[in-house]
Amino acid sequence: MQVSSKEKFWLTAPITFFLLVMLGFPLLLDLIYSVSEVTFENLLSPRLQGFENYLKTLQDPTYWDALAFSLKFGLTASLVQLILALFLAIYLEPLLARHPWLMAVLMAPMMVAPALIGLMYRLILHEFVGVIPYYLWEWVGDSPAFLGTENAFLTLVTIEILQWTPFALLIIYTAYRAIPTHLREAARMDGANSAQLLLLVELPNMMPVILLTFFIRFIDSFRVFDNIYVLVGSGAGGTSTSLSIYIYKAFFRGGNIGQAVAASVLLFLAALLLIALLERFSRRMETT
Amino acid sequence: MKKMFTKLGLVLLISLFAVKSLWAQVTVLGWPGGPEETALRKAVEVYNAGPGKSSGTVSLIFFNRDGFWDKLQADLAAGTTEFDINLTATYAVGRYAPYMQPLSLPSAATDVFGEKVLKTMQFEGEQFGVPTDLSLHFMYYRDDLIDKLLSDAGWQKIYGEISQKYLGKTLSPKNPDTWNWEDYAATALFFTKSVNSASPTRYGTVLQMKNLLFNMMIWHSTARSHGGEWLDANGNVMVDSWAFRQGLQLYKTLYDAGASPKDSTSYEYAEANAAFGSGQAATMLQWNAAFGSLNNPEENPAVAGKIGTVAPPAGPAGRVTHIHGLGLGLNKNSKNKDAAIKFLNWLSGVDAMETYALGGGSPAMAKSITDKISVNRPDLIKLGDFAGSYGFVMNGGTSASALQIYTLQAEQFTGYWSGTKSLDEALQATSKGMAELLK
Repeated sequence: MQVSSKEKFWLTAPITFFLLVMLGFPLLLDLIYSVSEVTFENLLSPRLQGFENYLKTLQDPTYWDALAFSLKFGLTASLVQLILALFLAIYLEPLLARHPWLMAVLMAPMMVAPALIGLMYRLILHEFVGVIPYYLWEWVGDSPAFLGTENAFLTLVTIEILQWTPFALLIIYTAYRAIPTHLREAARMDGANSAQLLLLVELPNMMPVILLTFFIRFIDSFRVFDNIYVLVGSGAGGTSTSLSIYIYKAFFRGGNIGQAVAASVLLFLAALLLIALLERFSRRMETT
Repeated sequence: MKKMFTKLGLVLLISLFAVKSLWAQVTVLGWPGGPEETALRKAVEVYNAGPGKSSGTVSLIFFNRDGFWDKLQADLAAGTTEFDINLTATYAVGRYAPYMQPLSLPSAATDVFGEKVLKTMQFEGEQFGVPTDLSLHFMYYRDDLIDKLLSDAGWQKIYGEISQKYLGKTLSPKNPDTWNWEDYAATALFFTKSVNSASPTRYGTVLQMKNLLFNMMIWHSTARSHGGEWLDANGNVMVDSWAFRQGLQLYKTLYDAGASPKDSTSYEYAEANAAFGSGQAATMLQWNAAFGSLNNPEENPAVAGKIGTVAPPAGPAGRVTHIHGLGLGLNKNSKNKDAAIKFLNWLSGVDAMETYALGGGSPAMAKSITDKISVNRPDLIKLGDFAGSYGFVMNGGTSASALQIYTLQAEQFTGYWSGTKSLDEALQATSKGMAELLK
């Protein structure tokens, strides 16, 4: 059945209207605020001032520190998650194939809100009430300062990895299971050993999914806020300030609404660029 | 039949709206989840059963504590009419003043609170709130350990040796009520296991060094007692001073010597209480509100009944404690201003404040009033005494930028304590940032 253009219009109208109101309006408002002098006192009557907020943001060393932190955090967390998930997907495949319900158990950490995860680890890692420091003191007579400045990054990344590796595992395991059996059989008949099977058949087959998973996890870890904020705030001397925390602090604590919004627009543009690259890459993979 | 019910329903609905509009109901946004909430509920209950019957009853709403001030800021800026009276605080009064209406409290309020306490709710000479709760700091210490230190010759000898090694002079133990900062530092070092292997506690003190504005308020007593101030009389920033350096170096010395837990740079109120409550820290500079919980045997069996509290140690410029008030003020966009003002006026009276205090709140009131309720609230006597004798608010501490200044200092000073910034860098960046904020 042929759908007329009029019908297409009416069928897509509700979602278009919803998107315009729920996403378009805030985006437009953000764009106006980003080029305005705006504080909490003049939220309804911002004064246009050009690109000063963008310039101030780009000249602010703490913005670049926050960007560097988010990049380092996002890359480290997503890479480790990917490697772990890949290992677990292959290693646990026989077990998970026999007992699929185990996957639900493995998914449990990502069902907890990140802020709650932060709160949980704040208790677990505290020297006087936390279970881990307690046993370390009992067994070795000392415990590292998990949330001290020198260990905070490692602790935060570890917590992120523990919470989100299941997500990567779910996707990669599904891709691993989706590899056609005849490919493996053909490789075996050609004399391929396990390592060759993995490197020459399975990994190339899963590569688009692996890369997609990496990008999704990177974007998610890059914009991290809740668990870091609950655990260490922005860190001693601002050493744990992610880009999201920078924006939050500039907006609410600093009252620099224009600058905070300009920083968020820059983040939005970077994310847009990344998504465009991802889409282009996906199309290329489809054609090859 | 169906139509009749529909009509009846409509009439009832319209009647309800009409009655509601004739009967002013004041909505108060309070500070949630602590003794302040319990006390406010008690006071409102009494008001609604008495004066509220004729002038309009009061109902209460509460946000979550996390991000409370940010949410309040957003609501007030949006011109909300969802509440008529909202919480305010000394360090935020300047920030929220544009959205609030100044009050003219009855003259009796001065007799209840005194000028100094009323001032904690003032901005540019105008009163913006009724000061319902006062917060200040106590030096908490384990009196069982201090008693032994004051009587044991062996301990005193080690104390002298440690103070000589770390502070460059041989000191003798003193009663905490006569401590200066060196005595505090020497005691903290003495009770640190890594410094003194015979120490019964793992740490001598617990410092709150998280990058958090409230931690700056605690630390300020060190700088102020050395004569430190945010701004001079002409409004010039004066934090890059000897006094600030002394205070900052004191924390750094104790932290680097291991006198405070290694992850103190992530500690705030709750973490510090947990450390002290475990019995593994001998002293702690902490908010007065912590005493009840720390001294409760069910919550903290290791230290309950063994805790002494005094005002913070003295410096060359005297003995001081930061004070700030929480209070309730009038939303400029309130639709029920008359009724709201009546409630605030009532709240600033003796009867209301007695009810509030007996309900668990911590108002700083005249001695004649606290004496009357001292059987139930003996801690309020100390609160009033300390506020009157040692209380200070930094010059600029109620300005519109106060919260941002505290935040800036927290970022810079914690950088110095954690070793990511030098003392000069931290103080210079703070001075520059403050000058920008106060332009």
